Amino acid sequence: MASVEIQSDVTGTVWKIEVKEGDTIAEGDTLMILESMKMEIPVVSTDAGTVAKILVTEEEPVAEGQAVALLNL
Amino acid sequence: MAFDDLLDEYDRRMRAALAMGGEERLERRRNAGLMNARERIAYLMDEGSFVESGLFAVSHLPEDRESTPADGKITGYGRIDGREAALVANDFTVKGASSSTTNMKKIGWVKRAATERGIPMVFLGESSGARIPDNMGAYNMGAMLAWDPAQYLRLRQSPWASAVLGMAYGSSTWYACMADFNVMRKGSIMAVSSQRLVSMAIGEQVDAEELGGWRLHTEVTGLMDLAVDSDEEALDAIKTFLGYMPSHHNEMPPEAPVPKGSDETARKVLDLLPEKRTQVYDMRKVIAALADKDSMFELKARFGRTAVTSLARLDGKVVGFIANNPLHKGGALDADGCDKACSFMVLCDSFNIPLVFLVDNPGFVIGLDAERQRAPGKIINFMNALQLVTTPKLTVMIRKNYGQAYINMAGGRNADEVAAWPTAEVSFMDPAFAVNVVHGNEGKRLEDDDPKLFEKKFEEFRLASEVWDIAAAYGVQHVIKPEDTRAWLIRMFEVHMARLTGGLSQHRLANWPTSY
Repeated sequence: MASVEIQSDVTGTVWKIEVKEGDTIAEGDTLMILESMKMEIPVVSTDAGTVAKILVTEEEPVAEGQAVALLNL
Repeated sequence: MAFDDLLDEYDRRMRAALAMGGEERLERRRNAGLMNARERIAYLMDEGSFVESGLFAVSHLPEDRESTPADGKITGYGRIDGREAALVANDFTVKGASSSTTNMKKIGWVKRAATERGIPMVFLGESSGARIPDNMGAYNMGAMLAWDPAQYLRLRQSPWASAVLGMAYGSSTWYACMADFNVMRKGSIMAVSSQRLVSMAIGEQVDAEELGGWRLHTEVTGLMDLAVDSDEEALDAIKTFLGYMPSHHNEMPPEAPVPKGSDETARKVLDLLPEKRTQVYDMRKVIAALADKDSMFELKARFGRTAVTSLARLDGKVVGFIANNPLHKGGALDADGCDKACSFMVLCDSFNIPLVFLVDNPGFVIGLDAERQRAPGKIINFMNALQLVTTPKLTVMIRKNYGQAYINMAGGRNADEVAAWPTAEVSFMDPAFAVNVVHGNEGKRLEDDDPKLFEKKFEEFRLASEVWDIAAAYGVQHVIKPEDTRAWLIRMFEVHMARLTGGLSQHRLANWPTSY
């Protein structure tokens, strides 16, 4: 099964994770919300699929380009 | 009858040409669910309208004459939704649609006709590169290559659309990169050289998808405007794209009827905005709401996502939207976003399409990565392109508008008319950062250091950023209610239409590089 990494496009802190492993999601769905640049920036899914793994925890800092979730297509 | 033999011979040769690379290869494609070159033409062009140029053309090498129907690249003219177009369809079943003497002449011929007669050019790409051994050796290089000084000249006199529908190396890649619209079927590869050649050259296996797959080109290089699942969808996308284009640069794009309900949706646009300034939204929904219903056709949706570039219609007329998208990086413009905005301005300026800028950004992305990605050069490229555009430009400030990005997003005299929603906030930098710069100590956040002072100063800066002050300075000429935005845009384009040239721009961006 093909899988893709979902990456954060900003540097920030994980504020709220909105999905759990096993969830079916559509392209454009919000996976988690980061706090960055004093704003609430969502990480949206680039593809439709199933959440295979969440790679971060709430309050954890993330860097731009860091993989935050793994999606099975 | 006197001419029976000759006419039989005509039929025999025609059948041979139409048989392409033979039944076995064609069947393999059918089994893989892929269209062949002639099926693609039949799907794309109006029934019965295709006239082939060079049906009987074959390889210049005597020994290859029988094995090279149409010399692997089918060229001709046909109508797409009733409008003339010229076309090159690569036939991969004939020597991998490799480039050689005859088929290069064919491409040059229809390209010249398209340019001189003012009709769009369509490339259906799937080619293996230069034909070997035709191109091997110094004699053949000297005799065959580089004899057309206009081969890669892109002056955008008529729109070019390209679809990459298989393995594209060499010719198909070059023409795709020169096209104004580029779509790819997922599973196709576009690259300079094949995976096999690359693996041989560097001595390790490379993955074809990584080398030139749809994710690379829609997300990283931005060379593709769109990726789709099937040949049919790719050809449909070309039809759709050309529906927004004039046939040539000296004509206006075609108009379309305005769908019912367009005005009603636009009046509800404010519902799309979150209440808090720290929350984001998807700007694409705002564009969809403001434009004629279902008229949005987004380009490069997966690339440089901090910016949105979309063709659309307003009151039936084609316009281009360039917008920040707060959903990604808060809307802060990055290097890719700048490149994307530039390439879209090039398209719109070349083909007489007025521009709408929708603004909501906290400034440019800053930092080490941004500088490494040549942000200063990209920002100024963007500015240069913006000031070269001579189609009418309107700007609507929706929310945040800070710093240099205010100028880039067609602020001040960079648009013909600027409006702001009452929700707009404009300043040189976000108040939260400005407070720290002016009142904070280096290395510390004033929010933590002295929260009370921070709150007080933040409020002062915030108030000074409100829309009324920029309206007072005539920095925006209009403050409009969100619900009136569509009506305002339509009305302002009526005022600012380029009457002196019958709507035409000066096309000063028409010879801008195709990728940069």
